[in-house]
Amino acid sequence: MRKLLVYLKPYRGRIALATLLMAVSAVCDLLLPTLMADVLDKGVYGAAEADTFGYILKTAGWMLGISLVSLASVAAGFWVVYHVVAGYTWRLRSALFRKVHTMTLTEVGRIGTSNLVTRTTHDVGTLNWIISAICGEVLIIPLMFLGAVILCMRKDVCLSLIILVIVPVLIAAGMRLGKKIEHLWELADEQCDKQNDLVRERLRGIRVIRAFDRERSAHEKITDATRVMAENFIRANVTMEIIDPAAAFVLNTAALLIVFLGGVRMERGSGLTAGDIFAIIQYINIILGAIVAVSYDIVMLPRIKVAVRRLGQITESTGLEDERPAEGLTFSGAIDLEHAGFTYPDSSLPALSDVDMHIKPGEWVSVIGGTGSGKTTLAELLLAFRAPTEGVLRFDGQDAAKLAPKDIRANVSCSLQKSMLYAGTIAENLRMGRPDATDEELWAALELAQVADFVREQPDGLGFRLEPAGTNVSGGQKQRLAIARAVLKDAPIYIFDDSFSALDFLTEAKVRKALNEKLAGRTRIVITQRVVSAMHSDRIFVLADGALVGAGTHAELLESCSIYREIYLSQTGGGAA
Amino acid sequence: MSSLEKNEQVETTEKSGPAKKKTRVFDETGKRLVREMKPLRGWILLSAFFCLLLIGCAVATPELLGSLIDKLFAWAKDPQPGLAGSLLPGIGILLGIYAVQGGVTYGKYYLLQSIISRFYCAGMRIRLSDKLRRLPVSYMDKTPAGDVIDRMMDDVSDMADSVYGIVDILLSGFLQMIVIAAILFLTDWRMAIPVVLLSPLSVLLSSKMAGLGENHWDKQYELSGKLTALAEEAFTNYPTTKAFNREEELQRKYDALSERQQQSGIRGHFLSSIVQPVIALVNALAYIAVTVVGGWLILHRGMSVGTVATVILFTRQFSGPLERIAFGLGYIQHVKAAAKRVFTILDLPEEPDPSGRVEAPTRGRVEIRHVDFSYDPGKPLIRDLCMDVQPGQKVAIVGPTGAGKTTIVNLLMRFYDFRTGQILIDGRDVSELSRAENRKLFAMVLQDTWLFKGTVAENVAYGSPEATREEIVRACDCAYCDHFIRRLPEGYDTVISEDSTAVSSGQKQLLTIARALLADRPLLILDEATSNVDTRTELLIQKAMDRLMSGRTCFVIAHRLSTIVDADMILVVRDGQIVEQGTHRSLLAQKGFYYELFQSQYAI
Repeated sequence: MRKLLVYLKPYRGRIALATLLMAVSAVCDLLLPTLMADVLDKGVYGAAEADTFGYILKTAGWMLGISLVSLASVAAGFWVVYHVVAGYTWRLRSALFRKVHTMTLTEVGRIGTSNLVTRTTHDVGTLNWIISAICGEVLIIPLMFLGAVILCMRKDVCLSLIILVIVPVLIAAGMRLGKKIEHLWELADEQCDKQNDLVRERLRGIRVIRAFDRERSAHEKITDATRVMAENFIRANVTMEIIDPAAAFVLNTAALLIVFLGGVRMERGSGLTAGDIFAIIQYINIILGAIVAVSYDIVMLPRIKVAVRRLGQITESTGLEDERPAEGLTFSGAIDLEHAGFTYPDSSLPALSDVDMHIKPGEWVSVIGGTGSGKTTLAELLLAFRAPTEGVLRFDGQDAAKLAPKDIRANVSCSLQKSMLYAGTIAENLRMGRPDATDEELWAALELAQVADFVREQPDGLGFRLEPAGTNVSGGQKQRLAIARAVLKDAPIYIFDDSFSALDFLTEAKVRKALNEKLAGRTRIVITQRVVSAMHSDRIFVLADGALVGAGTHAELLESCSIYREIYLSQTGGGAA
Repeated sequence: MSSLEKNEQVETTEKSGPAKKKTRVFDETGKRLVREMKPLRGWILLSAFFCLLLIGCAVATPELLGSLIDKLFAWAKDPQPGLAGSLLPGIGILLGIYAVQGGVTYGKYYLLQSIISRFYCAGMRIRLSDKLRRLPVSYMDKTPAGDVIDRMMDDVSDMADSVYGIVDILLSGFLQMIVIAAILFLTDWRMAIPVVLLSPLSVLLSSKMAGLGENHWDKQYELSGKLTALAEEAFTNYPTTKAFNREEELQRKYDALSERQQQSGIRGHFLSSIVQPVIALVNALAYIAVTVVGGWLILHRGMSVGTVATVILFTRQFSGPLERIAFGLGYIQHVKAAAKRVFTILDLPEEPDPSGRVEAPTRGRVEIRHVDFSYDPGKPLIRDLCMDVQPGQKVAIVGPTGAGKTTIVNLLMRFYDFRTGQILIDGRDVSELSRAENRKLFAMVLQDTWLFKGTVAENVAYGSPEATREEIVRACDCAYCDHFIRRLPEGYDTVISEDSTAVSSGQKQLLTIARALLADRPLLILDEATSNVDTRTELLIQKAMDRLMSGRTCFVIAHRLSTIVDADMILVVRDGQIVEQGTHRSLLAQKGFYYELFQSQYAI
């Protein structure tokens, strides 16, 4: 929580100002009944008989003035509050966004991208809400209470004791109840999530459900969950709704007590006037209004707790990247993995283990294996997203751990497995790897990736705007645009991780041919599941369950590596020569 | 869930604001909302009665409190002993009324909350769920799940607010206003006039300001969407961002958009939060007017101070329901928008379903005659598809990724209806069969495995709920599942779900094969694609699939050359259309797209 409040620091002065403005307005609201009491007491019965109506008018003028001041100060107060909240939210979001990009890939994967998105949107929104509620509503309550007590004290110390005792007791009771309600709301929300999951599951499985004629049972499950959800909400509401009538009853009773004790004290001649008693009753009404307003915010408590806890996962994350600046090294393209391995922090089995791989500059190698085989982990090691947990990775003989990740990434161009485009024009996306590329160079790269025709067909050509994550182009087009971008970046090492999977064999063959011509002399690492993508490369590495089970040319591996043979036979039926 | 909604309603109105267009409250959607409440009549009447009781209390208390205060002022003028004692009866009565008020208020809340949650929200959700059973698959295909869920959850709870709104805001609000206005006039018309005249002003002002704020809300809402999309993109593209060193650029973009979003939020927030203070000012004006007029009346017309005090207390109560009505009338537009979305689902045309049954045991001959089909009437996909598949034959569907190979599956399973032509199974036209009967002929294994939250045994027995444990185990054994199921913490009783990590994606695929084996249907639809599977599991899956295929008429979305070469018939799909049809040999001889596809695998 403290980490989240740090961003409020620059606004301390403005928060104080807002509170002051709100307080002025609260005091004004409290002064109205006081003036009213004056009118009733002095104006009507008091000494100023000579010009009683004049006195009433004068006081009315004051009341009008005070009302206007109240409105002006509350409006100014809100204006300040919302500027503070906007600034705070902006700072918090910006910091979260920055923090995510300093976290390691492992950490990003641990929290999960969709979770990261909800944290920066939904959870920040919750915090935004609570801060404006605190600055706008909650902070004034103690002030109002204090003001009311002081005004009461001036009228009558004894009567003010009633307010002094009852209000804190009421607040304490409300907080106790709030605890209970908080728990009930947590349960209710949980049930609501369960219901959501059930509906989602059903919609996703619609084909299987219908294929097996199980719609009825899917419907019944949802019906049951809906009923349970309703019961939970009722339980939470039933408890919550006590606050409003109970607080009203207690404060109304307090008002009666004040009338009675006020009467007693008037009789004893304490100098208390009937107008004073009337004013005190009105203070109570004002306080009641404020308490009831805040009591409704209790519903949000469990959600605030959740939001704070979830935001803490980001702000308190310690899995950070090595942010050393690049030294501007240029590699030759030699890569050596010496007994390298990697184990994910929450896993007992290594994703990669004891991988010995020596790649010469300019070599074209393929890494083949199924998804569990560790080939993507290998790509992540090569891009310095993860550091080997055993063994060593070397570029040009230098231990990668000693190099700045930024240097490594400057020397490696890549096209990665999934969603890799950004909102913006095609040209902007392509120029990511080489900002100074000319349009001709862009077209050449598009041509190579077999996607130039598609871009040409667009009215805006290179200026065609992609939606976020490139959702307005097909999977195959995305892959080809990413290949074009990778090729455009000038680097000694190129990695293509599962970059051809959405292309049909025909297109893939053309891309492969063009890549080999264009990137001759550069180190190329093609990571794939498909034999046809790998079989023509200089050397093939076969990964299975995180281990290197074979290395060599296609022909050698067919002889020596049973797993490669199995993959080959299963994918081609042995039909390829 | 209504009080939650009551709170969120404030939030949501802030987000969307009351609707732009001035439409009548009771248009078609409004009327239907009321009609939907019919089954709740009794409860609503009871809560309306409670509301009346509360209005009675609200009217009685200022009157009584006023008379007590009158006694105090009278005493100040003319001190007599026994003041405190003379106050007691009034205090007693008021205490009683307050207690009744508290109890009835709670009762009303309780009643409204439970009828709304239990009968209205739950009822509506169950109806929606029931409706889903009868909607065509095409609806789910084109509607994102999130959209359906939003309607089923959020929109229904917004609708429930209409029950609350009609009883609490319209009914009790209007009644209370009328009664109090009447009493004000009866008490003293001269003081009543400023109150009754000024209060509508507050309503007018508040609705004007809400309207002004709305534009800012719309803008902020739109920018929020963009901001979310940007964050989503940035976080999913994390590796690429890092690899191309784009962090700073993204950060700048994000910060700039976030700033714009917050700036537009400030005005919206500001306008909605000063509605209340502005109303308070108008109330204060009424208050001041009463003081002046009252003071004058006391001085010159000898009116009692208690009467003025009563009017003052009533003035407070008069503005309350007015504010509620002003808010409610704006909010009802929001509710109606939600109701409209829910009604849209309820009114969707349902899938026609004939009642024909399968009488004789099915052998598995499938004839497709001149079938035409398209998802989009403008773009014909399948034209004049004909084939005759004998029992036990294998049809392979091949083509590049994303070419639309699942269309055939959609037609055979009648997830979609074709336009013209016929499909006959063992000579019987399937369009005469009920969809469920039709589907009972097929077992289906899709690439997109679907497991629901339940035990392993329940998942495997999904197509045959009566299967015994022995039968389940046998099917799992056949599908190479038994060994890993036994290693799960609770074996066959382990609860798994779509995103459970206890079983790998390959094992999930094996489970769906076991499910199909257990269901034991004469026809089979199979997607051979195995993704996210390690090599060993892939081999197991293939062996299991081969077992499943033997002896059945199969339609296979083929990824293995062996399957394709062995197939009795190959359908070649490209860009959603079936471009070639024949056996491996005949297609190669044709030297068409299939030939090209086949050859290209081995080109350098």
